[in-house]
Amino acid sequence: MMEQPHSCCKGAEVLLNLQPTSSVSIQYHPFFGSHDDLVLLELDEKLLSDVLYQRVTLRGQPDEDAVLCTKSKTYSVKFVGTSNSVFLIPPADCSTSHESGGENYKQQVATASVIKVAPGNMELVEVAPRLDKLKSILSENLYSSDEASTAMGDLYKWDDLINKVQASDDELKAGLQALSAVEIDGYWRIVDEKYMDVILRMLLHNSVLNDWLLDSLVEDKVVSVLESDGFPRKLVYHCLNVYGSSVEEEAMGGGVWRLDARRVCVHFARGVLREGKRKMESFMEEWLRMIPEEMQPSFDMLEGEVLTEKIGVETWVRALSVSSLPTTPAERFSILFKERAKWEWKDLEPYIRDLNVPGLSSEALLLKYTRRSQPSIDAEPVFSAR
Amino acid sequence: MQIQVKCSCGAEKCPEWAIIELQGVVEVQPSFQHSLQNLQIGLLCRPSSQENYTFTVGYHELTGYKVALKKPMVVLKKIKYMDVERQIDEATSSSSCVELDVVGFIRHKILFKTRPTTLISGPQPTVKEKINAEGA
Ligand SMILES: [Zn+2]
Repeated sequence: MMEQPHSCCKGAEVLLNLQPTSSVSIQYHPFFGSHDDLVLLELDEKLLSDVLYQRVTLRGQPDEDAVLCTKSKTYSVKFVGTSNSVFLIPPADCSTSHESGGENYKQQVATASVIKVAPGNMELVEVAPRLDKLKSILSENLYSSDEASTAMGDLYKWDDLINKVQASDDELKAGLQALSAVEIDGYWRIVDEKYMDVILRMLLHNSVLNDWLLDSLVEDKVVSVLESDGFPRKLVYHCLNVYGSSVEEEAMGGGVWRLDARRVCVHFARGVLREGKRKMESFMEEWLRMIPEEMQPSFDMLEGEVLTEKIGVETWVRALSVSSLPTTPAERFSILFKERAKWEWKDLEPYIRDLNVPGLSSEALLLKYTRRSQPSIDAEPVFSAR
Repeated sequence: MQIQVKCSCGAEKCPEWAIIELQGVVEVQPSFQHSLQNLQIGLLCRPSSQENYTFTVGYHELTGYKVALKKPMVVLKKIKYMDVERQIDEATSSSSCVELDVVGFIRHKILFKTRPTTLISGPQPTVKEKINAEGA
């Protein structure tokens, strides 16, 4: 790899290419020292080229343990010490070999110099991105309908997020999308749910007035009508993105969108439950009333969004959105078991299926954080806190 | 904050470093402890065409062999540089002026796992190997 003449009889290359029946003198380098600024990092073969081609960064605030990020993954960095003597030998620096090498050259003795004794090396362990912080910093300052009049708190551009959040670029993008965040004037924002509610209702209202079909909304029309109602264009697009998806462009040109029944129904369910739990009948009555006629709601849509519980003879419904829960397993399970001491699998599964811990299967997660009991052989297993 | 990992040698030209690893600690005679530069630690020999090596440190001769690391390592050098604008800006985090330079990579080490056998004759040693019971 080194583009140095083979005759250069010093340094790591002489050691690595030592010929049979020859020897090399190992000595302390002229700059031997503790060199705390030199660290060894062990990594997977596939990461080596990422590192050499400058595709990795270390991310973290001074009070956090740094993580190493590639384009798509996040790794924690930990130090592993050794009690062996690890002599670290750099390649010969031919600029210094001239000064100190003359004598050795005469004697024809190859030498390799030890620059430091390494106390150990750093290792990488793939970890889940630390996205809870993304949610918390973006939630400090929601984008609302009276945006202009609200006091401006901290706002974050992409580069600010990279500096604050320990996640790779791809994971950060996915995290922003999961939070339904939107870039407005260069800043990443979460739009206040109440404001989203106003825009969505206005869109549905206009669809009735103008005979729009909810599974083929013509983008240009929607945007121009809602803009004339006073909504910023960017937020109209955001509303289409959050509650719908764009379908194949029609021959007439311009985008066409389809509203997603599940997302719209979940939105209204959350609205109904915002003030607190409701009896099932009253919840269903109000919820169904809000849903556009073209959509077929079903209670199953609310998996991972609401919990039901029997109190006496009544069934109650309350909001518990999986997106509001922490993404680290320990915190997630701790909150879930505070919400409810015992969980049946069908209730628990929607609240943990998104947990992603590299190297841990969902079975392993359950074993680690829950106690499984089965009242009788044919009964459903029940999970409680460990 | 974000620290960029760079390779200022230019990826393909990033040089290979080497490691000699042995059990225990090499002690330097007190009279030399303050002048280590260029001091010989020992003589490494490759007696045959096999990847076996001997390392003679003072009166001790160690035997070992060259091994490929299970995973490669990179040698990172922390580089702090003065960012004048930032300093004027006030005492903002000086840590934002750190870069990590990949100064080399390592794929092999010459490993001496055995306890040393004492050589009977030899020059007056200036360094000696001390067996470390904990050595792995
Ligand atoms: Zn390099």
